[in-house]
Amino acid sequence: MSNKRVDGQPAFVLHLHPYSETSLVVDVFSRDHGRVPLLARGARRPRSAMRGMLMAFQPLELGWFGGGEVKTLAKAEWLGGMPLLAGRCLLLGYYLNELLMKMLAREDAHVALYDAYFEALRALALGGADAPELRRFEKTLLKELGYGLTLDADVETGELIEPDVEYAYLMERGPVRKVGAGDTAVVCGKTLLDMAADDYGDPRTRVESKLLMRQLIAHHMGGKPLQSRRVFMELQEL
Amino acid sequence: MAGVSSLDELIEALRCLPGVGPKSAQRMAYHLLQRDRRGAERLAKGLDAALQHLHHCARCNNFSEAEVCDQCLSTRRDPTQLCIVEMPIDLNSMEQTHAYSGLYYVLMGRLSPLDGIGPKELAFERLFNRAADGVVKEVILATNFTNEGEATAHYLSELLHARGLKVSRIARGLPVGGELEYSDAATVAQALLERRDYS
Repeated sequence: MSNKRVDGQPAFVLHLHPYSETSLVVDVFSRDHGRVPLLARGARRPRSAMRGMLMAFQPLELGWFGGGEVKTLAKAEWLGGMPLLAGRCLLLGYYLNELLMKMLAREDAHVALYDAYFEALRALALGGADAPELRRFEKTLLKELGYGLTLDADVETGELIEPDVEYAYLMERGPVRKVGAGDTAVVCGKTLLDMAADDYGDPRTRVESKLLMRQLIAHHMGGKPLQSRRVFMELQEL
Repeated sequence: MAGVSSLDELIEALRCLPGVGPKSAQRMAYHLLQRDRRGAERLAKGLDAALQHLHHCARCNNFSEAEVCDQCLSTRRDPTQLCIVEMPIDLNSMEQTHAYSGLYYVLMGRLSPLDGIGPKELAFERLFNRAADGVVKEVILATNFTNEGEATAHYLSELLHARGLKVSRIARGLPVGGELEYSDAATVAQALLERRDYS
């Protein structure tokens, strides 16, 4: 087992759980070790140096040790440079965290996904357009997990995608030219091509790519509901 | 055998306390039964009474024996200000300041999407009804400065604002008597970001 010491590892906190009277179990997403649960001893004591620092959506540098499933957090340093998420963007941040928590296996490193996550959070923190960053993150997530999207060709005929044709996106396979009314995700060719190019300027592309991603993610999560989305919807309704 | 199972039942029941695992639960159970039967009886009665008599105050949502708690009925408090806190313990902290004389509303939690706690679980509707009683003029959001507390404050401010109320948020920055040298970078960064005009 990996009973070694890890030092100076760039990481983000995904979620915190209180543990015993004064400690926390911290679910972190680190660059080179993936998702790791860490025990932060005494982190809930009033004078703990880590209190307040172990906060989601902020770049940290962590050190830990231990051979078991849950490692012991030894050191945490605040890297800073990222404004705190606020308002609606906070809820979107929780959505990203929930995806990582529910879809990533423990101790599975995904450097490209870490970078995409960092970029998406930075975009959310700066309060710019968030749709492109979210879609790019979702695309990287699926690709890193081995569910990469086919966006350039019809998977049945092998023909290149045409912008003005409607396609049905078959789960686990890819786009096929739409023949009749079905219950699978229908998108126009331009949306697929835009997604391949990470170009989300077209409002129709934004709407269709969002729906397509939602269906793909729901499929790969095997029906597990996303709590953050439910809460987000309920808040929108008020 | 019946005796053994009621002991097991007690140990299992004690485990519902935060931070109590099987070992501590066992120790507590043996202590109560062997060394402190009087204390055990008091605990049992206390729990029973609290469960029967305590409920949420119809106005502030804090625990209360009466329909409306003493604090909400007090004539010495300013009914035009309503301070929203996450937990009863936060209310105590606010009271210790002796700087606030308005009324309170206790949410009994915070928005926490990853734990599935949303506006329904926190009964936002109840708070809106309370705040819209026509007497409250200003709502002061005193949820914690954690991500969850901030998300709660953000949504409450939007929703209360839409109901025509003045909404404010307690300030964040360096602690009183705080020195930059010994403050954490995150606090100083945020204090700088939220700096105020000096006039």
